Parts: sequence; structure tokens; C-alpha cells
Amino acid sequence: MTLGVVLVDDEPLIRSGLRAIINAEPDLEVLGEAEDGAGVTAMVRRLRPDVVLMDVRMPVVDGIEATRRLLANVDDPPRVLVLTTFENDDYVFDALRAGASGFLLKRARPDEVVRAIRLLAAGDSLLFPSAIRELAARHAPAASSGSGLDGAGLTDREAQVLRLVAQGLSNAEIAAQLVVSAETVKTHVAHVLTKLGARDRTQAVIRAYQSGFIAPEGP
Amino acid sequence: MGRARDLLSVPASSSTWRRFAYLVVGAALVPPFGTLAGFVAPALEPGIGTAAAWTVAIFVCGVALPVAIGMLAPVRALEIAAARLLLNVEVGEAGVVDGGASWSTRRRSATWFVAHLVVGGVIGTLTVVLPPAVVAACYAPFTSGDVQLGQLDPTVPGGPGSAWIVPLALLAPVALVYLAAASGAGLALAAPRLLGPTPAERMAALERHAMRLAERNRLARELHDSVGHALAIVTVQAGAAGRVLDSDPAFARQALTDIETSARNGLRDLDHVLGLLRDDTAVRAPTPTLADLQRLVASTRSAGVDVTAALTGSIDDVPQAVSREAYRIVQESLTNAARHAGQVPVSLSLTVGAKHLELELSNPLDASRPRRSGGGRGLNGIQERVTSLRGQVTAGPDAEQWRIAVRLPLHPAP
Repeated sequence: MTLGVVLVDDEPLIRSGLRAIINAEPDLEVLGEAEDGAGVTAMVRRLRPDVVLMDVRMPVVDGIEATRRLLANVDDPPRVLVLTTFENDDYVFDALRAGASGFLLKRARPDEVVRAIRLLAAGDSLLFPSAIRELAARHAPAASSGSGLDGAGLTDREAQVLRLVAQGLSNAEIAAQLVVSAETVKTHVAHVLTKLGARDRTQAVIRAYQSGFIAPEGP
Repeated sequence: MGRARDLLSVPASSSTWRRFAYLVVGAALVPPFGTLAGFVAPALEPGIGTAAAWTVAIFVCGVALPVAIGMLAPVRALEIAAARLLLNVEVGEAGVVDGGASWSTRRRSATWFVAHLVVGGVIGTLTVVLPPAVVAACYAPFTSGDVQLGQLDPTVPGGPGSAWIVPLALLAPVALVYLAAASGAGLALAAPRLLGPTPAERMAALERHAMRLAERNRLARELHDSVGHALAIVTVQAGAAGRVLDSDPAFARQALTDIETSARNGLRDLDHVLGLLRDDTAVRAPTPTLADLQRLVASTRSAGVDVTAALTGSIDDVPQAVSREAYRIVQESLTNAARHAGQVPVSLSLTVGAKHLELELSNPLDASRPRRSGGGRGLNGIQERVTSLRGQVTAGPDAEQWRIAVRLPLHPAP
């Protein structure tokens, strides 16, 4: 089974390069391209890709807004992989908050690009390179910095699961590590999301970084 | 409770002793003025009499001279350094103070110098006078006959009857330490007002700082949009070409062309940004914007070029960055017209729309002059500016006119 990808970037040369890299893989295929975020939702409904590679800065509708619309309006939406030139770009953080599952630098090697697509398509992992921790710390509201998530009332097990989610592990991987069933992990994750008031795993991880629950320089 | 502990810790605090040292330094500056007065007064005495001579000498050497010296910039710099180090106060941005030769600054500086001398003189004198007096006072109950308190005038009768003076004498040095600490604290409090920048200087410094920041942000944005963009294309295209080199040589060949173009554009943009960085007048002088267009048109006219200018819309709505570049584009276009077409009528139209700024400049082609290809330095400059704002430019002969049309987005894509 091939994994479908949609490319959204305003630069045709970035799209053509990524398309060549992705289509060179037997198990990946670029289903469509868009040059801004405006038509992405419709395109995704039509093409049903597994992963959307989304540039952040684009004319008309930027990657943040497009991600938000996509995740709000499409049932069983694809995973969104945010593409950016610079890792300290403030927009990246906004895109992750909008629900993107991970981010990738445009200077990533072709191997890393295809690995990231496969990783996100495969399940519920998140792709947060180390730079995002610094971004999260920078966006932390001063009041909550370092206070942890004490108010949320996570159980020890839930806290443990949250740490593993933040490391990018999928439910199955967490289950294997904690020696419990994947169903149990799913339940823990659901509780964590509820207690943190997070919409998805990405938001939960952002909260964990922002609150100081996970130290920016820590694992 | 906390305050009591603070008070008790005064003699043990290193800040107290540093401030004490600052006052003693002030005291050390006093004797030269006294010595000078001691020379001046006798010289004047034969002419104007003793009282007048000493009045004049004390006024000149004890007041006018310290005030004048206090006004000197190096003295101010020394006082600021000493206050920072010994009084432990921050008096404000040093860079501003250096240039501050205004009279207000000099006056405040002189006030500070005199205060330092006076307060330091008092504390310094007490520091010198007190120890022998204390020793003498402690000795008094054990002797007979009057005891003089060091160099001080009052005498204490010797014998056990004078025992009361011992605790008093022992307390005096402690009191001096507190007095010095209080004086130092007072000076520290006054330092920012007397040694720091004036509100106007502070405003100017803040404005310079804000301008520097804005300029830095602009350069960062330009680097991001131009060089970052080009390098991202180069990276992705090169990675792709490497992947498909065997399976799709045509793509790889095209990729190499695109890489070359992107890298060249990136270098050109880098050149432009580095030029801005080197050109530090760009940071200091306010860059002209469309608001200065009237003046530009007027000066072009006075240079003999017949310019007709038409403006539609309001230039107030044009963002600063666009406005600055648009001004430069008009300026370069006018220069080009004058250089290549000579003294021909030029018509300039500027339209501010909801999303774009459109700029058109045309002049009749001079048939007698050889037609130049569009690769002039001026046109390159315009092209660069337009590219950096993600706009479009068309330039070339159109009927019997040379026409350049520029379209700039008012709000860059996020």
C-alpha cells in the first residue's frame, strides 16, 4: 500500500524537489500540490492523502490557518507535517498549536523527509525535533513557567505516558515500553488530554513543555 | 524586624565601606583647593585687605574652581566610574552621557562634584579627627589634669569623674560609620539624577535603540525572505537531483539549472543585505519614504527634468517598508530617465490600492540616442527592491515611450 502525500508550498521549486524525492520512494506518492493554503481542505477531501507537507509562510492562506481549517473540517484528517526554512521561526509554534503533528526543516536530508512522512503516516507519533522545546519554552507564559502541571492532577502513570508521548513515541511503542496493552495506553492518553484540556497529542506536548513539566533541555 | 537587622548589618556590609571609601576620595580632593586659597589670599592681602582677600580666595578656590572642574567631561566620566564602582549605583547609559556636553549636564555634573567634595570633606575630617579624640577620652578617667581630645578644642577634666565619657567615645566611631553609610546612601540616591542622562537624552537613546532594533529586524526579515528562500530551494533541489540522478536525468539536469539560478539570486540578495549592513548611514539617517516624494519631484524639476506627478489614493496607508522602497524606486527611475533620455518630460503616476501600490513612470524615447538594453545598473537596483518585496516589475519600450511599471504588495505574505 502506498502512502499518499499532498504538498503545500508557494515555491514551485520546493514542490518539484520534494515531489521528486517522495516519488522516488516505492511506497510514497505525491497525490497533489497546492501553492497556498486556500484550497487544501477541498484537495484533501478529494485525494485523501495520509500526510500533508505544509509550508508555514504562504500568501493568501498561510500554513497555520490551513492546518486549522483542515483539522476542523475534514473527518479523519491526514497528519500535517509543517515545513519551514528556519527552526526558530515563531510561526512554527503556531502551526503546531493549530494541530500539526510535527515539523521538518527544508534543509532536512531526503532520507529524513521520507522517514518523517512514514513515521507520521504510520500512526500517532509526533515529530518534535529538539528545537521545538526551545520554542515552547520561549512561548511559555511567565506565570506558569517551571510550575509543572501540578494543577492538572495527572496520575504517575499518566505523567509517564505524557513524557513518552513528548518523546514522539506512538501508543504501540509506549505500550511495549510500559508492558501494558495498547488499549490501556490509549485510555491513559485520553485522560491526559482531558486533564490538560488539550485537543490532541500535539497540544498536550506543547502544554508539557510550556509548563516546565518537561524541561527544555531534558529528554 | 527586618529593618532592625538591616541596620545592625550596616557596619558589616561591604557596600558601607565602599561608600566610605568614595567619601574619603572626595575628602582627598579638598586640600589642593585649600592650599591654593592659602597662596592666593596673601597675594591679594596688600591690595584689598585681609578679610576681602580671604573672601575672594575662598570664593575663587573653594567654589568657582571646583564648579568649573566639575563641569569637565573627563571629571564627569571619572565620577561616573567611581560612583558605579564604589557607590554601587547604575546611572544610565554611558554612551549617552559621553556625548552629553549640554549645559544642563555640565551643571548637574558640577553639582555632583561639589557635593562629593563637601560631604566627603566632612566625613573625611571626622575620620581623621575622631580616633585620637577617642583614645584621649578613654584615657581621661585614669589621669589627673585636663585632657585634650586629640586636636579638638574642648578638654575633659582627668579623674574617675570623667568615666561617663568612655562609652560616649566608644560609640562615636560607630556613629561615624552610620553617618558615612547614610551620606553614601544619600549620594547614591542623587547619582542617577545628577550623573545620569537627562530625560531628553534618555528619549534620544531609546529612539536610537528602537531604530537599531527595527533596522536589525528588517535585515533579518530580508535575509530570511531572500537568502533563506534561495538556500532552501538549493537544498531541496540538490537533494532531489541526487535521488533521481539515474532514474530521471532530465529532472536532475533541470534541477541543476534551478539550483544555479537560486544560488545566484541568493548571492545577489546577500550582496544587497550586506550592503545595507555596511552602509551604517542607513541606520542613522532617517530613510526617505513616499512622504518625501514632493521634495524629490521638486529637486528633480529644479535639475531641469520636466516631471508630471499624479497620486491616487493615500500614501498614509502604505507600510513603512514598502514606502521606503517605493521612494527609492521612484528615485532610481527618475535618475535613469535623466541619464538615458536626457531632458525629456517624465510622467509619474502612483496609485495606492487596497492591496497593491502601483507605480508607473514613462518618458518619450529619444530617437537620436542609441537605445540601451535594459541591463543598466539602475534597473538592476529597482529589480532587486521589487524582488525583496515580492512585487512585479516590467520595463522597456512601449510605443514611443520608455515605460517602467512596478506593482508592490502592500502587505507581504506571512
